[in-house]
Amino acid sequence: MIKFKVIEIANTFGVHRNTVTNWIKRGVLKAKPVVGRKYVISENDFIAFAEQNHIPRRTLEEFIKKNKIQKTEFKLTKEDQGFSNHPQEPSPKNKYRETIMNTSRPVGSVLVLGGGIAGIQAVLDLADSGYFVHLVERSSGIGGVMAQLDKTFPTNDCAM
Amino acid sequence: MDKCIACGLCAQKCPKKVDDEFNMGLSKRKAIYIKYGQSVPLKYAIDPENCIYLTRGKCRACEKFCPTGAINFDDKEEIIQLNVGAIITAPGFKPFDPSILDSYAYDKIPDVVTSLEYERLLSAGGPYMGHLVRPSDEQEPKKIAWIQCVGSRDTNKCSNEFCSSVCCMYAIKQALVTKEHLSGDTELKQSIFYMDIRTHGKEFERYYEDAKEKGVEFVRARPHTLEPGKDNRGVIIRYVDEDGNVINDEYDMVVLSVGLEAPKGAKDLSNIMGFDLDEYNFAKTSSFNTVQTSKKGIYVTGAFGGPKDIPQAVTEASTAAAEAAKLLSKARGTLTKKKTYPKEIDVTCEKPRIGVIICSCGINISNVVDVKELVEFAKTLPNVEYVENTMFSCSTDTQYLIIEKIKEYNLNRLVVAACTPRTHEPLFQETLRDAGLNEFLVEMANIRNQNSWVHQNDPKAATEKAKDQIKMAIAKATLNSPLKRLKIKVNQKALVIGGGVSGIVSALTLANLGYECILIEKHSKLGGNAWNLETTYKKEKIRPWLNAQINRVENHPKIEVLKNTELKEVTGTIGNFEAKVQSGDEIRNIGFGAAIVCVGATEYKPTEYLYGEDPRVLTSFEFEAKLREKIIAPEKINSVVFIQCVGSRDKERPYCSRVCCTHTMEKAIRLKEKNPDLQVFVLYRDIRTYGTREKLYKKARDLGVIFIRYTLSNKPEVRLENGDLVVLTTDPIIKLPVKIHADYLCLASAIIPTNNIEISDLFKLSKNTDGFINEAHPKLRPVDATTDGVFLAGLCNYPKSIDESIAQAEAAAGRASIILSKDYMELDAIKSFVSDNCDGCGLCVDVCPYSALSIVEIQDQDGTIKKRISADPALCKGCGLCEATCPKGGILVHGFTLDQIEAQIQTLLAN
Repeated sequence: MIKFKVIEIANTFGVHRNTVTNWIKRGVLKAKPVVGRKYVISENDFIAFAEQNHIPRRTLEEFIKKNKIQKTEFKLTKEDQGFSNHPQEPSPKNKYRETIMNTSRPVGSVLVLGGGIAGIQAVLDLADSGYFVHLVERSSGIGGVMAQLDKTFPTNDCAM
Repeated sequence: MDKCIACGLCAQKCPKKVDDEFNMGLSKRKAIYIKYGQSVPLKYAIDPENCIYLTRGKCRACEKFCPTGAINFDDKEEIIQLNVGAIITAPGFKPFDPSILDSYAYDKIPDVVTSLEYERLLSAGGPYMGHLVRPSDEQEPKKIAWIQCVGSRDTNKCSNEFCSSVCCMYAIKQALVTKEHLSGDTELKQSIFYMDIRTHGKEFERYYEDAKEKGVEFVRARPHTLEPGKDNRGVIIRYVDEDGNVINDEYDMVVLSVGLEAPKGAKDLSNIMGFDLDEYNFAKTSSFNTVQTSKKGIYVTGAFGGPKDIPQAVTEASTAAAEAAKLLSKARGTLTKKKTYPKEIDVTCEKPRIGVIICSCGINISNVVDVKELVEFAKTLPNVEYVENTMFSCSTDTQYLIIEKIKEYNLNRLVVAACTPRTHEPLFQETLRDAGLNEFLVEMANIRNQNSWVHQNDPKAATEKAKDQIKMAIAKATLNSPLKRLKIKVNQKALVIGGGVSGIVSALTLANLGYECILIEKHSKLGGNAWNLETTYKKEKIRPWLNAQINRVENHPKIEVLKNTELKEVTGTIGNFEAKVQSGDEIRNIGFGAAIVCVGATEYKPTEYLYGEDPRVLTSFEFEAKLREKIIAPEKINSVVFIQCVGSRDKERPYCSRVCCTHTMEKAIRLKEKNPDLQVFVLYRDIRTYGTREKLYKKARDLGVIFIRYTLSNKPEVRLENGDLVVLTTDPIIKLPVKIHADYLCLASAIIPTNNIEISDLFKLSKNTDGFINEAHPKLRPVDATTDGVFLAGLCNYPKSIDESIAQAEAAAGRASIILSKDYMELDAIKSFVSDNCDGCGLCVDVCPYSALSIVEIQDQDGTIKKRISADPALCKGCGLCEATCPKGGILVHGFTLDQIEAQIQTLLAN
């Protein structure tokens, strides 16, 4: 069983708390009230509900871990694993899902391995267009093979 | 690390010497070292495998002598966890190790070196300071040979089937620049032993022809044995020439043009990250997305995706950056900070206090010009407070030095006597900003390109000239005043011109990066030349992909497609262009911040080999179309002849069309696979299946396609005999004429830049002599056009294959998005301005090539209406024509005012 407060579900799903209360009232979310303004719901019901609404698995797992009463480990059923492969695209009809997608936004940084001319150019382009970049180079200085060249065709510029 | 000031004392005192891997083991370095003089970061590092203290527990000499206490022996490797949205792998390549080829005796003969070692021997920062000597006795070599395809195109002694793409070109370059690294008038003989010369890049063919003219000897042979000369000095090459004679020739030095292999840790990297490698251990990619590995979010760029040259690697780096940006577009700007500069000090009322930096540029300058004399000379000049000579004034430590000295001596102007402001002025401007000075208070004297390079033979006069140059720069700098850059609002929308593959991919990339764009196409159908192609060299079908892309472009909410539309007029500048486009009778105005030019090219229609006279003689595209429509049935015919280089690599078009060899291989293989009995002949000059395309050449030979070489002076002849199509040529191996009865003759005709003239006029882009649009820098800015804010992709730039066009298109879109991502753009401050002397005569209006000037009427203080010139700084490029035209000093250009120029001339003529 999972024990939760309305606001916790609301935050996880990215919706208003009244929406959650409405869900419970309408019986869409099969939860029962207990003491301390909390609700309980069976794990399977909760997963089924989450599945219907395309909640990302990670968010789901975290929520369950936090709010579980019983000590048994949370295991994924076959269906859940299948569900994890579902596309998690939000549908425009349900605004709250988009809010959820926003909570798992991509990370705005890029790792570039190798500080030769290719790595350097990639890093500069990314940094110039607003991404944080980590440049990793094995040796003690960047420049790679191009730094070892004498002059380059056709401008005769020193490769440095 | 923060404490290290790179004084070099530690390395001086370190007792342990080890081979310097940066110089390919040709010289020694210490166990505490920097990689090279201009290393970034410029911090000494301890090599734990060789450090005496770290291996044997005693020494710590460096620690004792370090003046800042920067040595930390307890610094251990640590695991750092990073949370990133995408990964770009650019581990480079591994140069082939020729020591496994026992017949080349690379290990045993000291005068056999690899090409990378040779590059270090030539380099000013190398073991002999740029003065070329051979390793055995440190004497100048007079006869040097290059052996091509060492570790490439070889399945016999090593399993590198592929062509390394870059070796032909670097060998020619090395052969040509060698002369500069020898003293005076050494008689030099350079020979290049090759299988096919592959100069398929832009301007490469011309360079090759130039090398031939300058006396570089090209020998078509694959030497089988290298033996040491007398006393183990020099090398004897044994090879069989084209007539079958065994020749022993002695050379002072042999350079092995080693190929590019997959990097050492390729397998580990692919295992850790979970992407696939191809059969040569390069990262596996598709032709339609050359930077995407088999795992989402992980990209590859550079030579790890297959052997490639610098421009291609730089292009693909931009491609990978664009791909990563596409993936993370929602998170753009969430983790970045803006660089802040110290508040600008107002120097307008101060007396000029000038600092002078004189650069040695390794030996580039100091070898010819006496820099010590320059330092002494500069000290005597008016307003000069500080003079310093540096090894490389562009290095990071010099920038710190400059900032420090500006503060110490209270300098308010800087003169750098070094190389060209074109490449290096922005660096020093940035340094001034960091020091709290206006960036336009720096002045450069180009004592390298305009002096030491061109006056190598006259050091004395060169030094005098350098003095003049410095004197003039100082005179001008004295009058430099702080300038403000113009800020303009960026129109965050792009225009893509041309709806071929490059245009489609550019538009889609921009749209997916979140920018609106307009795609205009002259014809009624998108797709361009790609409709004429069947598969890529990796055997992927082009048409289904193309259909899908066109569909996406036409339905993308951020892309507006205008077909049957032509560009008529362009005004404005980077960040804020205006264009008139015409579709039918309708003319529309479009505003945009950046443009991508992808106007493509066309197939050359041959005028020889009975083309147009006999229906069986077809161009490559026509042949492909007939195969597709099943008009040509491979099962029913007996013989097909391909002739390569039709219209390419001749007097009229001295460039290689790059793709025709690969296209011919594809077709030949397809024909042979459909009908093994079909005889396929390919008449060629050099087969140029570069990179992993070499696989196709090998496969074609395995399938029994017959390759016959011809030369430009002995072209094949095509005749009609009793209605039969007959091709006559001479086989260079049996040295006999060959007569082939052909059912079809397919001409691999050139790619010609037919669409470039108008567009390059509209945007003021520069073209090369062949008519292809030039990039801003052939190596480092391969997708930027010469006009800011305009980018290039596809065939209008140079012939290239579909995968290269796609990569370039994405790179161009990525580069354009850097502009579009900004709300405001800073322009140059070197602009014209109108002075009180202007009387509105309007002479300058006519000469301005950018329409930046106009006549306006203003009201004087006493109410009279006067005519005056008004200059639009957004349009002005600071060319100075107006200033030169105006008879009254009524219009001037910031940074190049009449006063400044006069001061320069006066100083020069003072003595």
